[in-house]
Amino acid sequence: MMNKIENPYRPIKAEIIGVITETPTIKTIRFKAKEPISFEAGQFIELTIPGIGEAPFTPSSKPAEKEVMELTVMKVGKVTEKIHELKNGDIVGVRGPFGKAYPIEKFKNKEILVVGGGCGFAPLRSLMYELFNRSGEFKKLFFRGGCKTPQELVYRTEIGDWVKRKDLDVKLTVDKSDSGWKGNVGVVTTILEDVDIDYKNAIAIVVGPPVMMKFSTKKLIEMGFKTENIYLSMEKNMSCGIGKCGHCRLGIYYVCKDGPVFSYDKIKDFSNIWE
Amino acid sequence: MQYISSSNFAKFLENLKDDYEVYIPVKKGDRYFYKKYIDFTDDIVIGEVRAFEPLKSFFFRAREIVAENFKSDIPHTSQKPYCIVGVKACDLKGFKIHDYVFKNHDFQDPFYINMRKDNLIISADCTSAIDTCFCLALNVKPYPLENFDINLSAVGEDFIVEVGSPKGKRFVEKYSSLFEEIKDKFLSQRNEQREKVTKAVEKNIKENKIPHQDLFKGIIERGYESDIWADEADKCVECGACNTICPTCHCFLLYDQKSENQMARLRIWDSCMIKDFAQVAGGANPRSELWMRLRNRFEKKFDFFPKVADIYACTGCGRCISACPAKIDIRKVLKRLVHDE
Repeated sequence: MMNKIENPYRPIKAEIIGVITETPTIKTIRFKAKEPISFEAGQFIELTIPGIGEAPFTPSSKPAEKEVMELTVMKVGKVTEKIHELKNGDIVGVRGPFGKAYPIEKFKNKEILVVGGGCGFAPLRSLMYELFNRSGEFKKLFFRGGCKTPQELVYRTEIGDWVKRKDLDVKLTVDKSDSGWKGNVGVVTTILEDVDIDYKNAIAIVVGPPVMMKFSTKKLIEMGFKTENIYLSMEKNMSCGIGKCGHCRLGIYYVCKDGPVFSYDKIKDFSNIWE
Repeated sequence: MQYISSSNFAKFLENLKDDYEVYIPVKKGDRYFYKKYIDFTDDIVIGEVRAFEPLKSFFFRAREIVAENFKSDIPHTSQKPYCIVGVKACDLKGFKIHDYVFKNHDFQDPFYINMRKDNLIISADCTSAIDTCFCLALNVKPYPLENFDINLSAVGEDFIVEVGSPKGKRFVEKYSSLFEEIKDKFLSQRNEQREKVTKAVEKNIKENKIPHQDLFKGIIERGYESDIWADEADKCVECGACNTICPTCHCFLLYDQKSENQMARLRIWDSCMIKDFAQVAGGANPRSELWMRLRNRFEKKFDFFPKVADIYACTGCGRCISACPAKIDIRKVLKRLVHDE
């Protein structure tokens, strides 16, 4: 029998070529797939631990980098626990990329405010690199990030570099500070208002834990952002990646194929979107 | 339309065995099950009512290997395509949902497509109804009008044959010596039969006050915050029988297995009634309560599918009513939603 359609469920073999411990619960793994995988910022992949299972992740590496992919992974379940045990040379599997990316074309000549929370920094890193890459196309870039404690702050060195960038305005906050922290203390919504931006025409991108996205979105709307200009990356139980298995339905959409990036106006009327 | 005697039909099936794995309904007690066709045994029943198991089990397997190691080929399970005989109209509607999900929905599923593309569907009129039948409420007649290759209407021991596709036509022409011209009296017999079954289903609908689907528009949105869900979910034991037995339910779980140096990815039928169905790895669960999952099941059938595919994902087959150990009755839930009770 001829099989012209590719098997969407089979992973491509990939080899681990680096493991970086970001925080006690977060690691970044680097891997090289046997077949090149190119993705756009906002899309996700399914990572297989052979024989154990797979889980969805948004790559944290540069979309332009086709040879090597990076995932920043928090230890939360069966698959992520195994990911944290990976060493150089180990074999994993990759499927994807899946879903819709950020519509960066639509952001041209606009001011962009990126709001990240906790592990939401991971998917935002790939987006930030893409935005830096094309920063001449936008009016201005802002980054507002929050996490629970300074220890949980990922990509410290890189964020240090971001602060020095002339095309980016960065501000960070922690819920609970320690003696070394010099930045703001409080949830991320407390550092949104000082952004010098034309709210009515600006783009906001919000990625983070559901409760953080909920309150940030609410705040942004209060500030004057239009619902169609607020982009959210929704986390649901994406499994097949192709809108068949039913697990990640959100209203009339499947997050895996219609998302994970949605403008808020598309999903605001569905119930329980933040849960 | 043509006519075939039951002895000639047995010969027809015998010929089809060369190209197909032929399955046919047999009666066991008061239920009907598909069985691999070997010869025309006495327990074979082409007419009467739908089989116990949903038709989807042939095309979207309850458990199948979808990937092995890192190989790019598609693992195969069946040698010959299926020919399923005696399929009822309610199950044919199930094809519409599954074709939409697996074939026409942005991405294609090679497993379903392979199973479906070369199959032969020989459907049949219902010649009786059981008390859970309510197909007419979903605009499905108890006799097939579409989505079949050949349809049979039992008249006495023999059958009226209607061709529904070029493939069906080819087979009827290929074995033309087995078929006869149809006589008018058989046609009127068929009409009487169809009317009789329609009346039986109408009686079910009337007795249970089952609303017609013309009244379904907006019932989920209107009843979203209703107490109906908690009330109806009260006795649910989360077994998932309603999902597995449903000819339209398509959700599945992917899981991986390892033995020695072999790895396999399997998919099995899943149930949206089970607690962790929508739960993410971090623990957040958009439908943590059982009543939310019951609501979700109805939302998927009566809100999602009509919005995305212009079809209600229910065929009125009544299987979920019989399967539910808690006696949760889809007809009653629909009635409560429509009348806001």
